[in-house]
Amino acid sequence: MRGAKSAKWVAAAAIIALAATACGGGDDDASKDKGNGGSGKAGGTFRLGITEPVSIDPYNAQESEGILVTDNLFSGLYEPTADGQVVPVLAESKQVSADGKTWTFKIKAGTKFSNGEAVDAESFVRGWNRVAQKKAASDVAYHMAGIAGFEDVQSGKTDKMSGLSAPDATTLQVKLSAPDFEFDTKTTHTVFSPVPKVAGDAKNAAYNAAPIGNGPFKMDGKWEHNKKITLVRNDDYGLKKAKLDKVEISILNAANSANLEYQGFQSGQFDWARMPTPQLKPAKAKYEPQGEWLELDTNGMNYLLPITDNGPLKSAKAREAVSYAIDRDAIIAGVFQGMQTKSTTILPPVFKDVYTKDLCTSCVKQDKAKAKALAKEAGLKPGTTIDIGYNTGAGHEEWVQAVAQQLEDVLGVKVKASGKPFAELLADQQKPGATGAYRFAWGADYPTPDNFLFPLLSTSSINKDDSGKVTGDNRGRYSNKKFDDLLSKARATKDLPARNELYKQAEKVAMDDVALIPLWNRTQLRLVNTKKFADVKMDFHEDPNLAELSLK
Amino acid sequence: MGSDVERLVMGRYVVRRLGQLVVVVLGATMVLFACLFVLPGDPVGQIAGSDKARDPAVIEQLHKQYGLDKPLVVQYGSYVGKLAKGDLGQDYTQGRPVTEILAPKLLNTAKLAVVAIVFDVIIGIAAGVIAAMRRYSVWDITVTFSTTLAIGVPSIVLGMIMQWVFVIKLGWFPLISDGTFNSLILPAFTLAIIDAALVAQIARSTMLEVMGADYVKTAVAKGLSRPVVLLRHILRNSVIPVITYVGISFGALLGGAIITETIFNWDGIGLALVTAIQQNNNPIIVGVVTISVAVFVVLNLIVDLLYAALDPRIRLA
Repeated sequence: MRGAKSAKWVAAAAIIALAATACGGGDDDASKDKGNGGSGKAGGTFRLGITEPVSIDPYNAQESEGILVTDNLFSGLYEPTADGQVVPVLAESKQVSADGKTWTFKIKAGTKFSNGEAVDAESFVRGWNRVAQKKAASDVAYHMAGIAGFEDVQSGKTDKMSGLSAPDATTLQVKLSAPDFEFDTKTTHTVFSPVPKVAGDAKNAAYNAAPIGNGPFKMDGKWEHNKKITLVRNDDYGLKKAKLDKVEISILNAANSANLEYQGFQSGQFDWARMPTPQLKPAKAKYEPQGEWLELDTNGMNYLLPITDNGPLKSAKAREAVSYAIDRDAIIAGVFQGMQTKSTTILPPVFKDVYTKDLCTSCVKQDKAKAKALAKEAGLKPGTTIDIGYNTGAGHEEWVQAVAQQLEDVLGVKVKASGKPFAELLADQQKPGATGAYRFAWGADYPTPDNFLFPLLSTSSINKDDSGKVTGDNRGRYSNKKFDDLLSKARATKDLPARNELYKQAEKVAMDDVALIPLWNRTQLRLVNTKKFADVKMDFHEDPNLAELSLK
Repeated sequence: MGSDVERLVMGRYVVRRLGQLVVVVLGATMVLFACLFVLPGDPVGQIAGSDKARDPAVIEQLHKQYGLDKPLVVQYGSYVGKLAKGDLGQDYTQGRPVTEILAPKLLNTAKLAVVAIVFDVIIGIAAGVIAAMRRYSVWDITVTFSTTLAIGVPSIVLGMIMQWVFVIKLGWFPLISDGTFNSLILPAFTLAIIDAALVAQIARSTMLEVMGADYVKTAVAKGLSRPVVLLRHILRNSVIPVITYVGISFGALLGGAIITETIFNWDGIGLALVTAIQQNNNPIIVGVVTISVAVFVVLNLIVDLLYAALDPRIRLA
């Protein structure tokens, strides 16, 4: 029953999102001056709480909180929609060469940064070079790794990527070092924002604290660390203007933020809030009937990450046995109070062009007999020890214990669940000789299946250093030539439907090998003040769509 | 003449205590450095708050930037060198100077602690006086009962209940501090209440002791009015142990505000410490502890000096 209900919610949200995109694309010109496209009124202040971001400057904005601010201060070539599509923002057209190595973007003429400077092709070149520079030490620079000359800039040999050029004010040409037919999708990340001349180098304290951008909002004052960030509407915005006058973002401490957000919503001080897990049920009972409850399976997944080259889960059959032995429904009902959705794929359901429900047959329903039979075939004998590592203090203790209990009951194995601080867990996963399984979660940086499949499962993403430490994101060490070949083929395919077909095939290969054990989707729950605001939705980054929502 | 000698003794004493401060701070940073850097896991190996490992090129650059590529002894040496100039280094997540990050937080914590102390003293002494003056009455029993309760209830429970009642239900105070005195009241009260209960108990027992003293009986026999006896004779003499206790507990308040700061989102150094520990943000951890140690030592010195000033029988040596 619950499953059906959430599915409906997701479907409803997807339809709303589609409708919104259709509007956004169509009536740009009509609403240019008044910033008043739909039924909503202009004005109002939207208030919410976040935790302290690492950065709000595009050079290093990385988590949902930082991107909330950066995304509203800057507009790039393309942007992602909540349902995994890519729509143009400043790009008027794109052209990719037959070899997939040269991209040419036409940029909308006549838009400006909030300091009056023109947004031209050169401002993109400037912004991208600024990120790639060695001294920037940007955590998100790797998104540009495909651009020719990136290595030379990263190593400090030069400070301009040879692959970037601006033949004229509205033409941006990007040469890549390897074919990539999805480069346009990557530019949806805020790291690909244009910056004005005043931005200077990446390490520019004044600009880092009050970036001047070209987005629907601009900074009101500077970032008051651990206190607040205030945004006001950019009335000179060259595209569809925002309706809100102001956005007040309070910065809350991470140890108590969900609780403070929820209390703030209850007392009318916030218009958007997360909730602490124990409060989910009463909050839903109270706010869902009032239409203030928002539930969405977003672009993220939770897995058990098996180490596939060593230890008890080296064989695919053993991994399948583990997957069959887990009773996901019981854990979702018992631990998560029914507030999560079971996942049966490697790719999240928001990527609806490739989503193949129940691809993971062992995920659909617990099957003790099959689990035992597979374990026997795989030589996973009762009494074998399986290590499961997880990070402490993030609410994982309970479900990890439940999984451990189920594996012990069904397979007769001994599960050693060890909780560690995050940094320690990461070091543990990376070290040579890692074994067993780990708690693992992943979210895509841009809406493409490639952003799950390549980093998590391709052989080249294992990337061991001299000591044998895994430095890439494929920490399960999964390696299958058939998968790698399908992925390379997909990457070399220009046509989107054909490419998606190859991604689907690759996902199936990895799923047949149980390279990852899917557990549940990333279900995001929010409270939204729908009494005061209309058209409030959760965007691709799990933030409110500040540039589109309006007063009722 | 005598006062010159005293001043000299006192001056020497202060200098010696400040010398101890340097030794204590050095010792604390050394122990911390050793502890933090034998912890497994690269402090800059992971993107803050995510499952993702940093790019190896970025890790290398950060190691160089923060001097993590050098041996521990060299790192410690350069840390102490900078510390002498008042530089606490740069933090690992945002790359901002630690002093710039911690200065406003230290101020916030100090504000909270000062207001808490004021509440602490007012509530504690008032309750203690009432209990002592009306010994074994309903008042006394109420004070004894409620102070025992206050000592027993953890501040996290008290804080959250008060937040729910006064912020969510009644809306008297802002949830998120807006810098006004109003937003200081609840956190300061939460922080003060446990100490206030102890102060009340100390005040009550010392007052009862003083009330039985001969000079109080004499004063009463002389026919002085009750308020005069209370203020001039009883309270004045029984307040000394209270002041000593409060002085020492001020230092503890500075460090012990972690829970209160978390509940009320008060941006102080306690909260900074918790966040830094979660992020392996070592420069902030070392910075907070260094500052706390220094503040604690200085406060203890001030209390000792005050103590000597209040009670001439105590000599500084």
